[in-house]
Amino acid sequence: MDQSRDRKYDERLYQFVESRVKRMMAASIDRRSFLKKSAAATAVGIGAASVRASLTPSAVSAARKVLQQSGDSAEAAVAAARKLREEGQVEKLTIISEAGLQAEDLKVFSGPLWKELTGIELEVIEKPFDEIFPTMVQEHLAGTGAIDILQVVPAWLADCVTQGIVEPLNPYIEQYMNPADLDDIHPTYRDLMNYGGQIYGLFDDGDTLIGYYRSDLFEDPVHQDAFRQQHGKELGPPATWEDYDLIQTYFTEALAPEIYGGASQRNPIQSNHWFSQEFRVRGGKFFDPETMQATLDSEAGVATLTRMLESNKSMPPGVEQWGFVEVLTAWLQGQLAMVGCTWPPYARFSEEYGKDTKQMEWVPPSTISGNVKYFVMPGGWSQQASGFMLNVSADSKAKEAAYLFSQWANSPTISLERVLLPYSLRDPFRISHYESQEYRSKWPNAGLYLDTLRASADNCLLDLIMPAAHDFEVAMDQMFGAAQGGMPVEEALAQGNQAFNDLVERGGRDAMKAAYAEFIKLKGAYPA
Amino acid sequence: MSVTSGSVTAASETHRVGRIQSFAGRRRFEGWLMVAPAIVVFLALGIFPLIYSLVISFQRRDLMRANTNEWVGFANYSKALRDDRVWNALQNTIGLTVFGIAIEFVLGLGLALILVDELRGKRFIIPILMLPVMMVPVIVALIWRMLWDNQYGAINQILSWIAGHDVNIVWLLTDKNRSLVAILVTQVWQWMPFMFLIMLAGLAGISPDLYEAAALDGASWWHTFRDITLPGLANVIAVAILFRAMDAFKIFDLIFMMTKGQPGTSTETVSWYIYDRGRQALEMGYAAALSFLFLIFVTIVATIYISRFLRGHEA
Repeated sequence: MDQSRDRKYDERLYQFVESRVKRMMAASIDRRSFLKKSAAATAVGIGAASVRASLTPSAVSAARKVLQQSGDSAEAAVAAARKLREEGQVEKLTIISEAGLQAEDLKVFSGPLWKELTGIELEVIEKPFDEIFPTMVQEHLAGTGAIDILQVVPAWLADCVTQGIVEPLNPYIEQYMNPADLDDIHPTYRDLMNYGGQIYGLFDDGDTLIGYYRSDLFEDPVHQDAFRQQHGKELGPPATWEDYDLIQTYFTEALAPEIYGGASQRNPIQSNHWFSQEFRVRGGKFFDPETMQATLDSEAGVATLTRMLESNKSMPPGVEQWGFVEVLTAWLQGQLAMVGCTWPPYARFSEEYGKDTKQMEWVPPSTISGNVKYFVMPGGWSQQASGFMLNVSADSKAKEAAYLFSQWANSPTISLERVLLPYSLRDPFRISHYESQEYRSKWPNAGLYLDTLRASADNCLLDLIMPAAHDFEVAMDQMFGAAQGGMPVEEALAQGNQAFNDLVERGGRDAMKAAYAEFIKLKGAYPA
Repeated sequence: MSVTSGSVTAASETHRVGRIQSFAGRRRFEGWLMVAPAIVVFLALGIFPLIYSLVISFQRRDLMRANTNEWVGFANYSKALRDDRVWNALQNTIGLTVFGIAIEFVLGLGLALILVDELRGKRFIIPILMLPVMMVPVIVALIWRMLWDNQYGAINQILSWIAGHDVNIVWLLTDKNRSLVAILVTQVWQWMPFMFLIMLAGLAGISPDLYEAAALDGASWWHTFRDITLPGLANVIAVAILFRAMDAFKIFDLIFMMTKGQPGTSTETVSWYIYDRGRQALEMGYAAALSFLFLIFVTIVATIYISRFLRGHEA
C-alpha cells in the first residue's frame, strides 16, 4: 500500500516537473532560444539541487513518510517543521501582513494553531497595504533577515523576483508537497505564482471583483415592468457597463434618496482596478508593445474614464470619497440596489456570516440578508484585484521552516478553514474551495456566490504584472482622482500616459519592453 | 634655611601646580568621557544620515533598480526644479503655512486678549483650549476626516442649519481648493491654541503700569493695543511665528490621513512628495535631493525672517 502510494506520488511529481519543463520549452525553439532555455533550465536545476542539498534530511524524510501515508501536505509540513524545531533550527517565524482583518487570521487562528502543532511561534508584523511593498524592498536591501514569510501581491512578483527578494520554491515543493495540491489551485491563481518558469509563491487569498445586487428589488414585478417599459430590456444582472448604468440610473430615479441604484468605490485609492478592467474590456492596451509608449489616452481610455465619471451622477452624493467600508455600510443598510463590483467578503458580510465574532463587531447589521445575488463584472471579464501569496524571503535565516508554514497554510485542508474564517478577508482560490459543501451550506446563496467567484476567476483580467507594478497602479489612481477632481478627461489621461512613460524610462525601456512582452503572453493580460 | 625653605616652597608649588594640572586634565578627560556617548549618538543619528543623504542626492540611487549608485552630479536637483509636482507641492505648502499661521495668530491673539484678564472659569477654559495641541496629528486628521464627511459629518450638518436647507458639499478628494480648505481648517484647529498660549504668556509679561499710564492719558483701546500691546509682544510674536512656520512647513500627517495628495496630485505638500518619492517610489537619490532643496529653501526663508524681525527687534 505504502509502495503504491509512493509510486503514485513519484508519478505525479514526474508529471509536475515534466509539465513545468514543457511550459518553459513551449515557446519558440530556434537554436538561440533553445540554448538560452537550456541554460536557464540548467541554472534552475543547479539552484534546485543546491537548495535540495540544504534541506534538512530528517525533515524531508518525515514529510515524505506522511505524504506516502496520507498525501496530506498540511500534515507533511507539520511533521517536517516539528523535526526542524526538535533539532533547534527554528523557534520563531515572522510574517509581514496587511494590518487589520487580514492579519487577524494569522494572529488568532493560523499562528496559534501552527505553534500548537509544531512548537514554532509565528510573529505577525502588520503594515498598511501601501507600506507592505516598500517595507519588503527596504528590508531586503538592508539584509536584515527580519522577515521570513512575505505576503506578496501577484502584481509585485516581477519586482520581487528581479530584485531577489523572494526565494524560488520549486525545490521545496518537490520535496515537501503533494503535487496534486498544486493542481487544486485555480489555474488563474496558479499561473500567478510563477515567474520566469519558477514558482515563487503559494496562493493565499483569491481576489477577483464581483458584482452584487438586491434580488428583492430586481425580481420585483413592479420594477421589472417599469424597467422593461423604459428601456425595452429585461431587468437583470448587467452584462455591460452601459447596462449597469441603465439599471443604476433607473433605481436611483425610482427610489432615491432612500435607495440609490448602485455604488462603486470611487475613492481614488485603488480605483485603478476598476479603470483597468473596463479599459481593457473596451479594447484598450496599456502600451504599444513595439515602442513602449503608453496608450491610456486611446478611445478606450476616454470612453472608460468618461463613463466612470458619468456613472457617479446616479450614485449616492459624495461617492467620490467612498472606499471599501463606506460602500459596504450603505449596502448593508439597504441604501443600494447594486454594488458596481468589489471584493468577495461583501457576500459574507451581507449574510451576517459569523457576525457574533468579536472581530466583526465593526460591521453594521445587514438589512439585506437573504436578498443578495452576485454577477460577474460587466463586460464578461472580472478583474483580479490584488490578492496575496505566501512567499519565502530570500533573506530569511529559516527558509525551510518559512516554506513549511506557507505549505501548511496553503494546503487544501487548512486553507479551507482559513477562507471560512468570518473575520478574515481571505477568499477562495482552490477548486476544492469553490466545490466545498461546507462552504456552500453557510448561507442559502453561498453556492451561487462560489460559482460566481469561480466564473470570475475563469475569465479574469490580471493586474499589470511587470516591474514597478505598484507605481503603475498609483499612476492610474492619480489619473482617476485628477479626472474626478475636475481635470478634463483627455488631460487626465495624458497625465497618466506621462506617468507611465516616466516609469518605463525609469525601469529602462528595453527591460520594460521585455517584461511587458511577458505580461501580454499571460492569459488574462487582455480579453481573449 | 630660607634657601631650603624656598626650594621646598617652589617644589611644593610645582607639585601643587602639577596636581592641579593633572586634576584638571583628569576632569577634562572625564568630561569628554561623560559626553562621549551623546556625541557618538549625535554623530551616528544626526550627522551621518545628513552627510549620507547629501551623498546619495548626487547619485541615481533607485531602490527599484539594481546598481544605481552611479554619480549623476546635479541631475536630481535639476530634475526637481523642472518637476511640476514640486512646484505644486511648494505652492500648497506655502499657502497652508502662510494662511494657517495668519489665522492661528489672529485667533490666538484674540483669545489671549480675552483670557489675559480675570475671567470666570479661566482655570478650566485654558486647559480645554490646549487639548488639540496635545493630540496626535494623525488622530486629529481622523476625527476631522469624519467631520468633513459629506453624508455623516457635522460640518455639512452645521452648514445646513445655517443655510436653512440641506448642504451636501463633498469636501475631500473632489476639488483641490475645497480639500485644501478642509486641511487648513483642521490645521488651524489643532495649532491655534499653541499660538494662544504663547500670546497669553507674552501679554502677561507686559507691565500693567503701561496700561495704567495709557488709561490715565485717555488712550483708546485701539491706541493701547497698537502702541503698547503689539510692541510689547513683538519679540514673542516673531518667535511664535518662526516656530509655527518651521513646523507648518513640514505638514505631512494631515495630508497622509485626509487626501494622500489627491485629487490627482493636487494637494501634495513638499513633505508628502518627498515621502512619496522616497518611501513609496523608492527613488532615494531624488528624494534626498528634494529634501536638500527644501532645507535650503527653509534656511533662506528663516534667515531672512530672523534678520528682518528678530535681530531688528534686538537692535
